[in-house]
Amino acid sequence: MPVLLAAAAIVWLFLFFLPGDPARLIAGGASADPDVLQSIREEWGLDRPAPAQFLHYLGMILRGDLGTSYVQKRPVSAIIADHFPATLILAVAAVILSAGGGLVLGSLAALYRGRMVDTVVLLLALLGTSLPVFWLGLILMLVFASFLGWLPVLGYGMNGAVLPFTSIRLPEWDHLVLPALTLALASMGAIARVARASLIETGTADFLQTARAKGASGARVFARHTLKNALIPIVTVIGLDFAGLLGGAVATEYVFAWPGLGKTIVRAIGLRDLPVVEGGVLFLTAIFVLVSLALDVAYLYIDPRVHYSRSA
Amino acid sequence: MKSRHLVVPALLAAALWPCLSCGRTQKPAAPAEQAFRFRLHEDPPTLDPALANDQFSEAIVLNVHRGLVELDPGTLEVRPAVAESYTISPDGRTYTFLLRDGVFFHNGRKVAPGDVVYSFERILRKETNSPRRFLLEPIEGATEFTEGKSPSIAGVSTPDDRTVVLRLSKPFAPFLPQLTMTNTAIVPREAYEDPRKGYLRAPVGCGPFRFSRWEQGNFIELLAFDRYYGGRPALDRVVVRMIENATSALQEYIAGGLDSLDETPDPGDTAMMAKVGSEIRKYPFIGTGYIGFNMAVAPFKGNAALRQAFNYAVDKEYLWNVLMPGGNRPANGIIPPGIPGHDPDLPGYPHDEAKARSLLAKAGFPSGKGLPPIALWVNTGEENRRIAEQVQSDLKKVGIEVSIREVDWAAYIAGVSGTRDKPGQAQMFRFGWYLDYPDADAILRPLLHSSNWGPAGNFGRYKNREVDAFIDQALDTADPKARADLYRRAERIAVMDDPPWIFLAYMESRTLYKPYVKGVVLSPLGEFRLPLDRLRIERGAT
Repeated sequence: MPVLLAAAAIVWLFLFFLPGDPARLIAGGASADPDVLQSIREEWGLDRPAPAQFLHYLGMILRGDLGTSYVQKRPVSAIIADHFPATLILAVAAVILSAGGGLVLGSLAALYRGRMVDTVVLLLALLGTSLPVFWLGLILMLVFASFLGWLPVLGYGMNGAVLPFTSIRLPEWDHLVLPALTLALASMGAIARVARASLIETGTADFLQTARAKGASGARVFARHTLKNALIPIVTVIGLDFAGLLGGAVATEYVFAWPGLGKTIVRAIGLRDLPVVEGGVLFLTAIFVLVSLALDVAYLYIDPRVHYSRSA
Repeated sequence: MKSRHLVVPALLAAALWPCLSCGRTQKPAAPAEQAFRFRLHEDPPTLDPALANDQFSEAIVLNVHRGLVELDPGTLEVRPAVAESYTISPDGRTYTFLLRDGVFFHNGRKVAPGDVVYSFERILRKETNSPRRFLLEPIEGATEFTEGKSPSIAGVSTPDDRTVVLRLSKPFAPFLPQLTMTNTAIVPREAYEDPRKGYLRAPVGCGPFRFSRWEQGNFIELLAFDRYYGGRPALDRVVVRMIENATSALQEYIAGGLDSLDETPDPGDTAMMAKVGSEIRKYPFIGTGYIGFNMAVAPFKGNAALRQAFNYAVDKEYLWNVLMPGGNRPANGIIPPGIPGHDPDLPGYPHDEAKARSLLAKAGFPSGKGLPPIALWVNTGEENRRIAEQVQSDLKKVGIEVSIREVDWAAYIAGVSGTRDKPGQAQMFRFGWYLDYPDADAILRPLLHSSNWGPAGNFGRYKNREVDAFIDQALDTADPKARADLYRRAERIAVMDDPPWIFLAYMESRTLYKPYVKGVVLSPLGEFRLPLDRLRIERGAT
């Protein structure tokens, strides 16, 4: 809760000091009728002194009300509900790809340490991490959609299935591939490198000798002993990557016209649709906190030595 | 625990999953369906005609709604729409509209004169906060109604079940063109007084297309309205897709996911031009681009010679013919071609560095010496940046140092317009103005009349009594030729004697259309104000 309140306060302050008048944009931007302008300020409480505006905002948050969009004139929570599923689906797909790919590549590099495979993996990892996502997305689009015609260029599709008991419409799956792959390639490198380092470090542990001495096969030793013991740093990277993807896939959403929340928030900054920015950022902060919490819980499961106690 | 053995293979499969969908090709639209797909950069801020104030909102509103009159997109003449005919009294104050019989809203109800009254009251009502309230303010009693002093608009009456009479407080020549704006569309009360405000997400009108679906950030779908008074449109379906990134949108157009695109490739991009160059339609549209001076602050305040020097220093021919070819045309003045009052013989300011230098000296700043630091503001965008850099470089050649300040639209508007009492920070600013309707009043009054000083549109705080007088006189003049002449005279003073801007460009639209899209009207109203009821798809045709 303190984290959320601090985030709320920081975002509010930033937006308050951002030049540009929201009422002005609502009233027409280039040529605004002064009476309409005043009336809009009154409607949204923008004519009140800053401390009063801030307290009103805090009061709303504490009541669980994220406010109403100046532009769309509907609750911010409804806007988040509209856009977050697209972001979540993209992040899940990307993290599955990047975790899978990263683990496989990292394992290969660790197994063939110092050999050609290792060098290639490290090089690819470096490339993936360094390439700007925006550029990578466009290249993938040009190759797989424009040139080869295997996948759609962009978008979410119009005819995906609706999740039962919700109004959430899933993307058409082929539309998901390129944006997910773009995000995955960008983060796969980091996962592969951490996986490699962690596996190599674990690989020198004495208990592996013991396992081998007991007659366990190489594959079994790797899967049950090395990989399991090397997982904590890998899971940390994957988890943080996932949390980041939930809020920060803006460039990919932009390139592939993906109707996600990140792009919506950036757009709202441009429109000075302050409630959407404030509510959106607060929501993403909450998600980030939840993912971190889930990560801490995951450590308990992965490594029985980890335990949290009141006295600790 | 056994399932953990499956982790690695499962992840491998996931990593390889993209290849499972290899071999996919673009699905062609069903041949029987007439569907048209075009792109907007982003979601329209609103689909409420009373609030629509930007080209993206208008692009949708225009096709869902209809008002009493409309503009012919080709000739820009006013023609009846929901009104079958109209008459204007000899004193220019009373407008009588006879409604068509058999105009239906999308909810199935017949349009009645009471709907016109309701729609107009809705725009004027204070709580609607319509940015286009001014369109109806010439009607007698409109202001009193807005201020709550009167329960109805005195100048609006409905003598019978097919007639609407509007009485103006005084003759106002551009009133009819103003009524063509989509904001004054006729809407059904029952839909627009819904307490849940469903109309914000699902507008109801009486236009050729009815609203179907809107997925934010993804698409808006419109369907043909069978009972449209003008006859069911040829297109069965219109899909408006939100694609912000221009490069991606162009790829989507080439791949066949869009039938039209407002973005054309750079003429220097030969590979791309080879693909789509033949599909580019280029046409003038009613807008003027300029760099405004802030005339409330030094050094431009009261110094016409300095502003003239800036005008001569900038090479518009180079800008539009060499640096950024294929787009806009160099401007001589304010009123763009196609608008009555445009003056093709206006000399303007052809590039002349010698004249610029001598005027600079006359203005008190020989070779630019003594000029304070000047910042040229632009809103974020590559084209704006390139224009600003070229202007900066041209000015430098005659000794004028200008810095560029690039900020986002909201910060830009705040910095440029200031408040009513305090001028904006920006000393120079790049701007483009698209006329809402084809009348010189739609550019001269908002941008240069002193009554619109500051945030109301006259950002440069230009005040020239003669220009004001001509603009006012033209409003009271009914004869179109005499009006055009008055605007020409106002423009000549504002351009040649006391320039408020560097006159940069008459705008041109460039739009891509697939060859199978027929019935396209290259309208000077711009690529987004495209009436879709005339379009049809003829696949196989060239």
